[in-house]
Amino acid sequence: MSGIYPKIRLIGLLLLLLLVFLLDIAVGPVKIPLGDVFRILFSFPSGDSTWQFIVQQIRLPKACTAVLAGCGLSVSGLQMQTLFRNPLADPSVLGITSGSSLGVATVMLAGGNVATLYAIRELGLSGSWLITAAACLGAGIVMLLVLVLSARLRDNVMMLIIGIMIGSVTLSIISIWQYFSAPELVKDYLLWTFGSLGGVTNSQLPILGSVIGAGVIMAWLSSKMLDALLLGENYARSMGLNPQRARLMIICSSSLLAGGITAFCGPIGFVGIAVPHITRQLFRASSHRVLVPACCLTGTLLLLLCDLLSQLPASQTILPINIITALIGAPVVITLLLRQKNINAY
Amino acid sequence: MIIHRRFFFGIVFSAIVLVPAFSCRDKTRQPALEQASGTGTSSGTTVIRYAKGFSIDYHDHYKVLHLLNRTGDKTDTLHYLLLPEGAVIPSGYPGTPVIRTPVKSLAVLSSSHVGLTEFAGVADRITGLGSLQYINSPVVRQRIRSGIVKEVGVDNSLNIELLIAMHPGALLTMSNPDAATGKNRTLADAGVPLIPIAEWLETTPLGRAEWVKVIAALVDREDIVNPRFDSVEKEYLRLARIGSTATGKPSVIIGMPYKGSWFMPAGGSYMVRLLHDAGAAYHWEDTKGTGSLSLNFEAVAPEALKAGYWINAGSVNSKAEISARDPRFARFHSFQAGTIYNNTRRTNDIGSNDYWESGTINPQLILADLIRILHPDLLPRDSLYYYKQLN
Repeated sequence: MSGIYPKIRLIGLLLLLLLVFLLDIAVGPVKIPLGDVFRILFSFPSGDSTWQFIVQQIRLPKACTAVLAGCGLSVSGLQMQTLFRNPLADPSVLGITSGSSLGVATVMLAGGNVATLYAIRELGLSGSWLITAAACLGAGIVMLLVLVLSARLRDNVMMLIIGIMIGSVTLSIISIWQYFSAPELVKDYLLWTFGSLGGVTNSQLPILGSVIGAGVIMAWLSSKMLDALLLGENYARSMGLNPQRARLMIICSSSLLAGGITAFCGPIGFVGIAVPHITRQLFRASSHRVLVPACCLTGTLLLLLCDLLSQLPASQTILPINIITALIGAPVVITLLLRQKNINAY
Repeated sequence: MIIHRRFFFGIVFSAIVLVPAFSCRDKTRQPALEQASGTGTSSGTTVIRYAKGFSIDYHDHYKVLHLLNRTGDKTDTLHYLLLPEGAVIPSGYPGTPVIRTPVKSLAVLSSSHVGLTEFAGVADRITGLGSLQYINSPVVRQRIRSGIVKEVGVDNSLNIELLIAMHPGALLTMSNPDAATGKNRTLADAGVPLIPIAEWLETTPLGRAEWVKVIAALVDREDIVNPRFDSVEKEYLRLARIGSTATGKPSVIIGMPYKGSWFMPAGGSYMVRLLHDAGAAYHWEDTKGTGSLSLNFEAVAPEALKAGYWINAGSVNSKAEISARDPRFARFHSFQAGTIYNNTRRTNDIGSNDYWESGTINPQLILADLIRILHPDLLPRDSLYYYKQLN
C-alpha cells in the first residue's frame, strides 16, 4: 500500500466511519432533534431526560457494541481465512460460533437448576464475565479440535468439512440440552441466538471492550506470522517462525474475539466471512499489518450501517441484525469478486 | 426447535406470533352462532356469547361442534359429531369425526386445558398430559403420583404410539390437526379425535374462558358448567364496569425487553382488553393484531420511563433480579416507585404457575387483581390472587 490514493481512501473511510457512527446515534424510532443529540453526547445539559436516557443508555452503547463487534468479527474472520488458507473460513462456518454457543448454553441452561441460575443472576457483572469466559473457552476448544484433526489431513476443503461437522455436533449437543431444560431457560437462550447489538449495557461495555481489545492487539502483533503462514508453512519455518506457536497465538486471539462477541451479541453471521474479502479488495493489500486495522475499519463501518438499516425507518420495529448483515454483505462480496474474477491471496 | 408447552404460552403471551386478524372468510361454512332450537340432549344446551372460535349445534340426541380452523391466513371450519355411546350415526354427516359422549378419558396438552377441565369438574378424567412437570390441580397431581396419568409429550415429541394405545376419548391440542407435523394426521387416522382448543386466540378474557363450554359439551355437563360460567361472566362484567369507568387511568407497560426487542401485546389481544376493563391507560391500545408487537427498546423507552405500573415483568422475582438483568430498568418510574407486579403469586413448589392453568377460566379474579393494583380504592381491600408486588 503506497502512494497517495490509499491514504485518501483511508481518510475517506475514517470520515465515513465517523459520519455513520454519529448517524447511528442520531437516528432511531424516537425522533430527537440533532442539536439535542449532540448536546447530550457531549454532556451538555439537555431539557428532556427521556432523550438523555435514550441517547446515553440505548443508542450510545449499541453503537459502541457495533464498533467492537465489527472489529472483532472481521479480524477473527481474517485470521481464520489465513490460518486455514481458505477464503470460505469464518467463525460461524468452522463451528467456532457454535462452540461459543455451547459455552453460553452451559452457563445459561446450567443443568436447569434453579439454584445455579439464581447464583448466576446474583453475580450480575461477574455473570457476564462468566458467560464471556465460557463462550471463549467453547470457541477455543472447537477451534483446537478442528486444527488438530485438520493437521492430519493437510487439505483445506477437508478441514472445512471437518469444521462444519464439528459445528453440527456442537449444535446437536445444545439441542439435546435444550430439550431437557426448563422452558424459561430455553426461552432466554433462544432469544439470545437471534443475535442483537442492543443487549449490551454501559456497565458491560468495558468487559466486551477489553476482551475485543486484547484479541485485536494479539492479532496485530501476530500479523507477521499471519503473513508467513499465507506463504506456506515451510516458508514460515525458513523465516525462523515457529508455526505451532503462531497457530496457538492466532487461535487464542480468534477465540477471544469470536467468543466475546458471541457471548454478548449472540451468533452474528456473515461479517466474519465478508469483511476480509471486502477489505482485501478495497485496500489491495495482503499484508496483515495493513489488513488487521483495515478490517477493523471496514467491519465497523459495515456493522454500523447494518444497525442503522435494522431499525426500519419510521417504524418502531427492529429487524434481527443477522438478517441485515447477510442482505448487505453478500451482494458487496459478489460484486467485488466479480470485478477481480479470482482470489489470488491463497 | 423444541417449544415446551409453557414456553409456547410464554410466546403466545409475550408473543412472537402475530396472529392474523380474526375473521371468518368462508362465509358459507361460517358456524352458526345462534344455537339451533330443538330439545337438545339431557344435559341441556348452551349459548356462546363471547368466544369466536367455536360454536355448538344441539340436535335431538346429538351435538355438532364447529371449530374455526386456521392454517396460516386460511380459515375454515372443522366439524365434530358428538354422539352418545351406542347411538347410530345420523345421516348427513359423511366423513365427520365422531366423538362418543360423555367422553370418559381426556389427553390434554396445555396448562389451560387442565384449568378448563378442572372448572368443568372432570379433571379426574385426564389420563394423558403434555408434560407432567407443570401442574397445579391437586386432583391431577394426585393422579400423576399414582401413575394413572401418562406423559404424552407435545409438538414434535408427541408420543403417538402411546396415544394410540391409550386411545383417549378426545385429545385436546393447541394447534390444528393439519399443523406442523404429520403426527396429528396419523393420530386422527388411528381414531383418536384431535380437538384444537384455540382459547389463546380469543380476543377477550371471557371469550377465552368460554371455551370451557367445549369441554362441557364433550362430557355432557352443560347443566353444571353453564351456571358456573354465568357467575364468572356476571362478576367479570360487574368489575369491568367499575374498572373501565374509573377516573384517572394510570399508564401501564407489559413484559420485559430482551436484547433490544420488546414484545408488547397488540391492541386486539385479551391482555389489552383486561387492561382496558381494569381502567389502565395502555399506549398501544389502538394497534392492530391479536398477538403482540415486536418493538424496539428505544421505541418503548419514553413510555417505560414514565409508566405508572409495570405488569408481568418477565420471569423475575424481585427488583434486584430486574436490575441485574439490565441496570437501565432501574431508571423506570415503576421501578423507583415499586409498582411492579407479576402474575406469579400462585406458583407452586414445582415451579408451576396457576395463572396459566386456572387463570384461563378465572378472568374475573385476574381483573379484580388488576383493579386492586391500579385503583386501590375502588374495591374492598383484599389480598391479590394471581399477582404479587415485586420488592
